[in-house]
Amino acid sequence: MESRQLIDKLEYALEQLEQARPFNKVRFRPAVLDVGGRLACEPGGVDVLYRLAARCDRAGVFADTPWDQPACLLPGLVRNTLEQGDRQTVLIELFSQLRLLAISNGVYMHGGISAEQARHFLAQVMALNLDHLLSGPGETMRARLGRTGNTVSVVFRYLLENIGFADILGSLVHEVRRIMSQRPLQVDSVKSMITQIALARGRGEGGAGTAAADADRLVSSLFGPTQNCADDPGVPLYRERLAQLDADALQGEANAFAAAMHESGLVSDYHAVFLRWLALEQGELPVARDSLLALALGLSSTGYDVLRTFHSLVTRLIEGAVQLGTAQCVYSLAQLLESGMLYSAPVAPALWRQIDLRLSPRCTELLAAVFGPQVSPASRLLAGTVQVLGQPLGIGQGNNPTCQAARAISMWASNDPDYLLHLISRAAHFDEIILHFEGEAVSSAGASGGAVPLDTDPVSVLLVPHLDLVYRRMGELCAGRGDDPHRWINPELHGWWVGRQCFLAVDIHTGGLRDYDAFLHRFYCSYHPFYNGNQPIIHPQPAGLAVTDSTGAFVGWHAITLIRVALDSDNTMRMYFFNPNNDSGQDWGAGVKVSTQGRGERHGEASLPFPQLASRLYLFHDDTEALVPTTTPDAEELAAVKEMALSSWAAGREVGLTPERGHN
Amino acid sequence: MGNFDRNKGYVAILGWSLNAIDAIDRFDRRYVIVAPSWAEDYANRHDIPFISWNFERLNERSMEIAQRLKDEGVDVAIPLYEETVEWAGAINAVLLDNPRLMGQSLLFRDKALMKRRAQLGGIRVGIFEEAQDKGDVIRFLTRVNQALLKLDGDPNDPIHLKAFDKAGCLGHRVVRTAEDVDNIPDEEFPFLMESHLDGWEFAVEAFIKNGKIHFMNISEYVTLGYSVFVPATPDLEKWRPRVEEEIQKLIDTFEIDFGFIHPEYFVTSDGKMYFGEVAYRPPGFNAFELIERAYGFNAYQAMVMMFDPKTTDEEIEAFFPKEVVDARGHAGCFGVYPRRRVVNELKIPDATENHAYFEFHELQSPMQNKVPKRSAFGTHWGLVYFFGDDPYQLRDLLKAQEELDYYV
Repeated sequence: MESRQLIDKLEYALEQLEQARPFNKVRFRPAVLDVGGRLACEPGGVDVLYRLAARCDRAGVFADTPWDQPACLLPGLVRNTLEQGDRQTVLIELFSQLRLLAISNGVYMHGGISAEQARHFLAQVMALNLDHLLSGPGETMRARLGRTGNTVSVVFRYLLENIGFADILGSLVHEVRRIMSQRPLQVDSVKSMITQIALARGRGEGGAGTAAADADRLVSSLFGPTQNCADDPGVPLYRERLAQLDADALQGEANAFAAAMHESGLVSDYHAVFLRWLALEQGELPVARDSLLALALGLSSTGYDVLRTFHSLVTRLIEGAVQLGTAQCVYSLAQLLESGMLYSAPVAPALWRQIDLRLSPRCTELLAAVFGPQVSPASRLLAGTVQVLGQPLGIGQGNNPTCQAARAISMWASNDPDYLLHLISRAAHFDEIILHFEGEAVSSAGASGGAVPLDTDPVSVLLVPHLDLVYRRMGELCAGRGDDPHRWINPELHGWWVGRQCFLAVDIHTGGLRDYDAFLHRFYCSYHPFYNGNQPIIHPQPAGLAVTDSTGAFVGWHAITLIRVALDSDNTMRMYFFNPNNDSGQDWGAGVKVSTQGRGERHGEASLPFPQLASRLYLFHDDTEALVPTTTPDAEELAAVKEMALSSWAAGREVGLTPERGHN
Repeated sequence: MGNFDRNKGYVAILGWSLNAIDAIDRFDRRYVIVAPSWAEDYANRHDIPFISWNFERLNERSMEIAQRLKDEGVDVAIPLYEETVEWAGAINAVLLDNPRLMGQSLLFRDKALMKRRAQLGGIRVGIFEEAQDKGDVIRFLTRVNQALLKLDGDPNDPIHLKAFDKAGCLGHRVVRTAEDVDNIPDEEFPFLMESHLDGWEFAVEAFIKNGKIHFMNISEYVTLGYSVFVPATPDLEKWRPRVEEEIQKLIDTFEIDFGFIHPEYFVTSDGKMYFGEVAYRPPGFNAFELIERAYGFNAYQAMVMMFDPKTTDEEIEAFFPKEVVDARGHAGCFGVYPRRRVVNELKIPDATENHAYFEFHELQSPMQNKVPKRSAFGTHWGLVYFFGDDPYQLRDLLKAQEELDYYV
């Protein structure tokens, strides 16, 4: 919708509110909030709301609410409002933040709160809610607020652009590092954060402390990580410089790129330019080309060996996939080589197929529409393919409410890469994939017209609508079987390696707990090395969690992948798992805080102590009979796990209340 | 309360509506709200002039309220709800010293009486009868369909059942078959039965002073019970002169000197206009809000002006815009009913939310997952508002909403 029309609508709604007598403000407020919330998502919309902030306040947007007295607001409560509040309350909170910004900038005076106080308040709110800036609306918010979740992101981004930086720089940098430690495929929001930091630093904001130094390091790893691009010279000039470099300088350049990339997880555009130049430059280089490539990718001897073995394939991948606009796939390419995946016989030929794949008109159109014209759709998809293969745990579900498809792509990328390449090629060329359910072919025909997931990687954009449809059709085939359909769908959808037995903690008809003690007992005997005969997890296994919010209240069912179980450096037994949610670092309440770094996690893994994970689990798979004898788990630990469940998501389920269905 | 003009009248508002009070408090007449005692605390807290009165009890003290308002200096009483229409008639009979007003109000309150009176005044109405029991309904259904020369086995033309004294769609049922008749609860008798008129149904909001129409809006129904918009399409507006004639007939027949009426009409395919019913109070479905959105004046204030005996012609002249040509656009609303039996969440359809005409909605997230089965016309779960320049586009947009799921 045109912003102009929304502005007119807002003007009318605001006039109505202004006219209304105090006792009837409540009647006209929702229209102002609703239209304003939609306007915020349009270009320039937040700015309009900011300029109307004083008028909204006087008109009575906050009348008879705690926000009517800004001096009494507490920054620590904002997060709770965003996470727990209904749509209207969240919108009031956002309107209030914009009003505080107007107060802090001195364009609006409000009794009881000074510009200085307002500024301090906003700085704290920003620092406490950075994740809303970085990863967009999480699933809790998406489920509860729908589109208003986007309004939260755009308003927070606006606030960030408009308040001073120094106060929050330290927490910003920390947050960027925390996100990047998970090595997500989607780094657009992180990049825009770093751009914000760079702009602020450029204006001389943020001072000179350790936070500032760390921030500058982040900025340089994105914009100018090496000696020859530190001044951000622009691509043409940088290319000219490269031609002049001697052997030492080239090695220095390659090393610096690789160091910055592996330290931050971010790839500079200059890195992409450098790599293309290395791989494709026709003339003689002063150093052996492969060794420079290996240096620039930061490869170990394993990766270097793969590079030499598949030299021409890698060159073609760089040529096709590494472009300005897809620079981030350089990191994935390094990981792909390092994993040794190319030694698995079908993978290299499948990648050759991918390089020459002709995309269907529909697929071309889709990728161009989602990612823009900067890079050709075929290159975009090839880059995306390299990304998922190199970083299976970097996949995020974007704004797609169903998580199964993202999880499946991730599993195949690590466990069944040639199968994933098969699916990508079918979907890209034929606009259809066919999976089998108990012998019956299930087609995704017609999926291409459906909703496209946004804010995710090219492979997900292409495949998720197909997989969602197949998943739904498999669900229809299970209708009437009287138990959770995942029991049958999970092995059929993902592969033979999913355990054929499915354990469920919840009765799907009543939503009540079902044989919960036996469920926990079996989970320990299946997965806990102390009780399962010290058996590792061999293939990634799908599992279902009851996700809870930071107060421990039930949010919804969520699909994850169990990857491995191991002792961390404190000798705590931890489950390492993959969460297709965009940011795994979540607080599930009652001390259950998902860790993503520093507890032995590999990039992209989330982890919890084994009992805490068990306390949120409601579905897992295993094979029917164990190969080795198991031992009885510790009864006290099981009792504690049960208590954790009963005091959070399972509260009230002993009596069998109706559950909300569907995964998120 | 706001300032009022001592040269203008003092009005009593019968019934409690915050929207009406808000609008009237902003207007220039002195007012007092007459409403049940449960509203008294709220009124006192917000400085709303208030007299507590229980409208449900008719007894020997009924005269008391009229006398009290007279002593208070009130010039006229204005009903907000169907249930207060005859109270207004009775009170105004005293205040204005005109006993005829009491009888007139009873005509508005009884749909069967209303139709007979209209018929006597030469106004075309459909076939109707009162029903005391199910036998009456079966007989009427059969007779109507015999008259239409239906053979055994042909699907029946439906008939409509309406409570005598309820507003709008409340208690409205459509009956086609003997089973439909069986499903009517006994406590709904007696009621009015009408033949079904296949045609274009619309409503009119007419502001009347000195027996003359001063502003007349035509509200076009897209689908009865679902959606309405104002002003109507040119296709319907071309009937305006005929509609005005019909309204004037109503004014003459019911001897309406002042106030606000809200009649409903049908135009059949052969170009005949049938009178449906008329109410002497603000319409439901937020028609007043729509009129305000389209024309910019507050219809509650307009209504007060029409009732006030001290209103001057100049004031009326200055108050109202010119119908249709002065409208800033077309405003419509859609009443949402869940289409599924089990719902989990409120989700505004993308096509609606992205449409340039969409304004906002008053829907709440569902409190329960099971949707109660709808009998009769039922109540919608909330309204969705639209506003735009092209009445045809607006009409089609409102129609399209019927096929969309707001609750999934």
